[in-house]
Amino acid sequence: MVVTPPAGAMETSPNPNGPKSGLPAATPRSSDQSASGQSKRKQAGLLDKKALELEDEFKAKHFGVMGVLAWILLLHVAGIYLFTKGFLLTRMVLENKSSCDVLPFEDILAQPRTTALGSKQQKGCWHEKTFDKAVVIIVDALRYDFTVPFASKGESDTVHLFHNNIPVLYETAVENPANAFLLPFIADPPTTTLNRLKGLTTGTLPTFLEAGSNFAGTAIDEDNLVAQLHSAGKNLVHLGDDTWQSLFPGYFDTNLTHAYDSFNVWDLHTVDNGVNEHLFPLLRPENSKKWDVIFGHYLGVDHAGHRYGPNHAAMASKLQEMDRVIRDIIAALDDKTLLVVMGDHGMDIKGDHGGESDDEIEAALWMYSKRGIFGRTSKDTLLPPQFARDRFVPQIDLVPTLSLLLGMPIPFNNLGSPIEEVFSGPRGNNWANLATVNRLTAAQVKRYQHQYALARGAGDDEESALLWTAAEEEWKSASKGFSSKSTAARASNELYRKYQRHTLDTCRGLWARFDVPSMIQGVVILFTSIVLLIIYARGLKTDRTQLTSRLLQFASMGAGVGAVAGSVLGLTGLTEISIVDGAVLLAAAGSILGATPALIKKPASLPLPVPNGMWGWLALFFTVSQSIGFASNSYTIWEDEILLFFLTTFGVCAGISSMRQRQTTDRVLGVYHSILFVILGRIASFSRLCREEQMPFCRSTYYASSTSSTSAPWQLAIPFLVTLFLPSVVRSFYAGSKSYEGAASLWIGFAFRFGLFITSLFWILEGADDGEWLPVSKETLKFIRVFLAQFVLALAFAAGTAAYFYCKPCVSINVSKPTEDPNSPPAPIVAGQQQGPRTTVTILGFGNVYGTHFCFLLINFALAIILMQKPMGQGAIALLLWQILSLLEILDTNNLTLSNSSIGPVVLGVLGSFYYFKTGHQATLSSIQWETAFIPLTSIQYPWSPLLVILNTFGAQILAAIAVPLTVLWKRPLQTHDRVPASNPNKNPATRILSDVVQAAGTHILYLATINLATTMWAGHLRRHLMLYRIFSPRFMMGSVVLAVVDIVLMVVAVGGVRWSTLSVGEIFGW
Amino acid sequence: MAPDTSSASGASPLTPPAPDDKPSAPPVNILPSLIARIYSIAHPALLLALGATRFEAVVADPTKELLSTLPWLTLVQIFYVIVCLPPAGSTPSTETSASAPADGRSSPRSSGPGGAVRHGKHGKRKQHANSWACIWSRLLPALLSLSLTFALATPVLTILLVLFGAPLTTHNSETVLCAAHMAVLSATALTYAHGLDRAVWNEVWGIARPADAVWGSALGTGLGAWFGAIPIPLDWDRPWQAFPITILVGAYIGHAVGSLLARTPLVYGKRVKFTVEEVSETEKKTN
Repeated sequence: MVVTPPAGAMETSPNPNGPKSGLPAATPRSSDQSASGQSKRKQAGLLDKKALELEDEFKAKHFGVMGVLAWILLLHVAGIYLFTKGFLLTRMVLENKSSCDVLPFEDILAQPRTTALGSKQQKGCWHEKTFDKAVVIIVDALRYDFTVPFASKGESDTVHLFHNNIPVLYETAVENPANAFLLPFIADPPTTTLNRLKGLTTGTLPTFLEAGSNFAGTAIDEDNLVAQLHSAGKNLVHLGDDTWQSLFPGYFDTNLTHAYDSFNVWDLHTVDNGVNEHLFPLLRPENSKKWDVIFGHYLGVDHAGHRYGPNHAAMASKLQEMDRVIRDIIAALDDKTLLVVMGDHGMDIKGDHGGESDDEIEAALWMYSKRGIFGRTSKDTLLPPQFARDRFVPQIDLVPTLSLLLGMPIPFNNLGSPIEEVFSGPRGNNWANLATVNRLTAAQVKRYQHQYALARGAGDDEESALLWTAAEEEWKSASKGFSSKSTAARASNELYRKYQRHTLDTCRGLWARFDVPSMIQGVVILFTSIVLLIIYARGLKTDRTQLTSRLLQFASMGAGVGAVAGSVLGLTGLTEISIVDGAVLLAAAGSILGATPALIKKPASLPLPVPNGMWGWLALFFTVSQSIGFASNSYTIWEDEILLFFLTTFGVCAGISSMRQRQTTDRVLGVYHSILFVILGRIASFSRLCREEQMPFCRSTYYASSTSSTSAPWQLAIPFLVTLFLPSVVRSFYAGSKSYEGAASLWIGFAFRFGLFITSLFWILEGADDGEWLPVSKETLKFIRVFLAQFVLALAFAAGTAAYFYCKPCVSINVSKPTEDPNSPPAPIVAGQQQGPRTTVTILGFGNVYGTHFCFLLINFALAIILMQKPMGQGAIALLLWQILSLLEILDTNNLTLSNSSIGPVVLGVLGSFYYFKTGHQATLSSIQWETAFIPLTSIQYPWSPLLVILNTFGAQILAAIAVPLTVLWKRPLQTHDRVPASNPNKNPATRILSDVVQAAGTHILYLATINLATTMWAGHLRRHLMLYRIFSPRFMMGSVVLAVVDIVLMVVAVGGVRWSTLSVGEIFGW
Repeated sequence: MAPDTSSASGASPLTPPAPDDKPSAPPVNILPSLIARIYSIAHPALLLALGATRFEAVVADPTKELLSTLPWLTLVQIFYVIVCLPPAGSTPSTETSASAPADGRSSPRSSGPGGAVRHGKHGKRKQHANSWACIWSRLLPALLSLSLTFALATPVLTILLVLFGAPLTTHNSETVLCAAHMAVLSATALTYAHGLDRAVWNEVWGIARPADAVWGSALGTGLGAWFGAIPIPLDWDRPWQAFPITILVGAYIGHAVGSLLARTPLVYGKRVKFTVEEVSETEKKTN
């Protein structure tokens, strides 16, 4: 690499006498200099005073700009909150409960109660009960195709490791149809366990907002099956997944219940062994009086999916283990007990879930009884269907089925239907019974609908009323000439069933009702905050730090007035808006109104914020075209490829622009780094995790195979390659400006490399654990791993931050006499200076004092983020760091550092988004790598676990955000108050830096905020689109979270960190 | 045809003066003969028409059709450059050409293919040369430019296509053929008209050439191919959305539009500006 001498080293000759020498930059305040004359000390005192003033001014203004960024963050949060409130589906939760002695029919209430409550509970509440007891086993993520013999869907479809391992369900259903049946069991998305358990016990549809509460479950306050069983005095036992405990606190027998941590997905066996250990003793005859219903929740299959993916030997053996367990339970079962085995959701081809793809929602349901009560109404339905789509039941159907089988009232909010196989009698012709249970269920649905309509203040649906009347007519005609084979019973059964499904569809539509005014409010707040940000980041010609106090004053005044007004509006009840929403809306609006006059005080300093030059237009083009693209599901699906296209376009433009540079060094370096930038991006693009919609045009490389979520053995070499090369790469960028001096060599050459090496060891041990290569127990391995990971995090964050705070700039200062050192070039001789032997002060690394110090922060975070990624992602993050540094060199050689061009921060934004996809993520819920929360921890700990998952998920965006100040700091020439041009003598150069940094940060936020606004608007606009929940809604959520995370990181880490890098430079070179 | 070349130098004063610190070739003019002027306008249209007739076949089997049309495209391009463009070295790159008013081809600082220069001298000896020699003097640089197109431009464009996201493990023949078509469209005329003039190629890499038919068609090809990538991800399920087709369509359209647009008086001779400083610099110079 070629280095221009002025950028590399500065040589200067301090004049001991003249005040005109005035190069405090060259008078390092090291202790050996203090042995000077008295006059010099006085001089130094004066300088110190001035320096202190400037330093204090810088510190004060630094707090100010952080305040401005906080205000921008709050505006974004307010806008996102208002939109989300209207956009994510909401459903009123009715508090009503079904009770045993009140049948759902209106006419029953008038009838005298003939039977006492006690006997009712003996025989069953609404319907004669079939079983006294039940064992309900949930095999988490039991996908339907696991349970049936492999059936080829197409030519390329072959038997996988997960097929044909749990044959017991299919065998029993085929051999003894009266004892067992097996059906596909379709979940309502979101397919997270918490939401599924809610659906499986309340019988109602989930709303999307609940998807986020997987980390902290809350108790169900709606009427549900568990609560009904509990209030009927049944003794309930729960074993396994502790999500049940948070959903149903206090309902289970405390002595017999054993709950296990559900989120430790690395652990395949603890939960399952625990369930087995406590389940089988209870099934023994001597213990049968101790319990009525057991809920057993196995997690091994789900965890094997998360950890290895379905197509892995661990999954096969886990399924075989489940097969044995079910056979053992069957053997231990008595006649009075019903056995239910089901999956709460499926898993996608990598073994994850949460979304609504077919593989994720297709679970299996199997019921078994030794009494032989199950029937099939037709010969076609005798065998379990080959594919899940053939003949399925919705998961909420379990609720009325189980309620009626156990003689319980159907929970009030239930929308499911009784399962035909259960109530049609062993010969499949008990139409009277079917009609009875369907009438009961339909009546309950009707009662619920009526109450819901009342609560909403709306009338009943006409079509469903017609269906109900028709069904009742048939029912009455059937009850006249009553016989079990009567066609009337059959017809009324059909009609009741139709009524139930019709209501279900109506409810689905109803709960997909959006609060459009609230959505528009959110979009308007987001839009106006972008307009303000455009003015602040791109429009103003003045120093941004001077605006701070006025801006914050006006904005907070506006916010205060708005908040009060909003609360009052909410309290008076003039509008339907709630207090919180009103306060948020008007506070945001008030602060925007207040800030506007503060920003556009002087129209003269406010040129139209139109980009000038090719770079500005390119940055605008990247932002706007991507935003428009999110209106199309294709461009959303293929976002990773489009980002590569943009990055290559930028690289090519950078190469072209570099060719136009006049200086040969600039041209050569610029072209070199442009080519490097493009090639690195293309290499990174080989790391892919395909989303379902990209198939079949995409091949996942992030994991060992497309059906796995572990790394291939060869991928474990990547961390070592990163250890070997990344510190040297960073070093080469430091060496380019001769800045590999001082703390840099220790921190980059040793600490960074050591941290990376420990990280590689961690992932080797991880691989050893997965592949069982080492004869060491899993506990020991886990202990060592956690220790290593915590060590790396401590190195990155504790030691790294301390090093960043206290270390000096990366310069080396040599004092030498020119006569004694013939190698050094002669010092420049200025006319008028006294001649004679003088000391020459050589400062290496002078050309990049601000950038190299701040870059430490980037390296610290890179280390932590690399630890949190899977091996493939570590390579990607290493490439990201390289590309960022390459970008900085491009910006420097093309004179974009000091001209405050928007291209640097925007390309960093594009890089962040691009590498989000290259670290094994997609804009889908199922691609969140929850298991990474356990890299440095053994159990869930708040707030660390969510933070760790954020560090894994948004690592690329975080790293890019931290690099934003570098776009103006990298190779920025040193500026002190006596070096600024004479035209502006009162100006503090440190605040100029601050102004530039906050402008870059604002531009970066502007890119992400525009993307966020676009995804928000499109999601709102396309709210009836078929692909809303698969494509647009996840992208909207991702955009919002990224914006909030980056806002915080920019404010706290990036702009916050500039304080110390500037202070450390000021300490050495003066202000 | 021979005397026409001399008047090509006479056209050069019409072009705006190039910045004097950049001693590079001025924009290339189409030869002033009637045939050249007519055909230079007909040529882009002809290419587009040919492309349109073969479109269905390309959609059906891209590799086969692109391969079989490549020789024809090459022939048409060769014909175009021979008929319409002055070969490398014939256009006076700088004022030095004033020393050779009789024969523009004998530019002393020509770094183009030696053959062109030698044959230029050959032609000088025989002032009343027969047209065969003349054609030969055009054909040789054309063949040389062709070999450069295939040996250098095609690999460079292939790499660029891959860097922009073209698949690396599959569709290799499509990528290479697409690059070959783009190279014939853009690089043949450039190398024919400029040879290996270092200053010109520096400007080419910096997108800093003054607009003319040659540069316009090359830049248009690149930009067209860039825009051609846009419809690929859309889920319209059309067969023509397959990888190289839209890019090539964009390249052909861009080639035609670029070569015609760059000759309009409004655009001719102008350079692409990147930064405000560059714009203000040229303003200062023109004032």
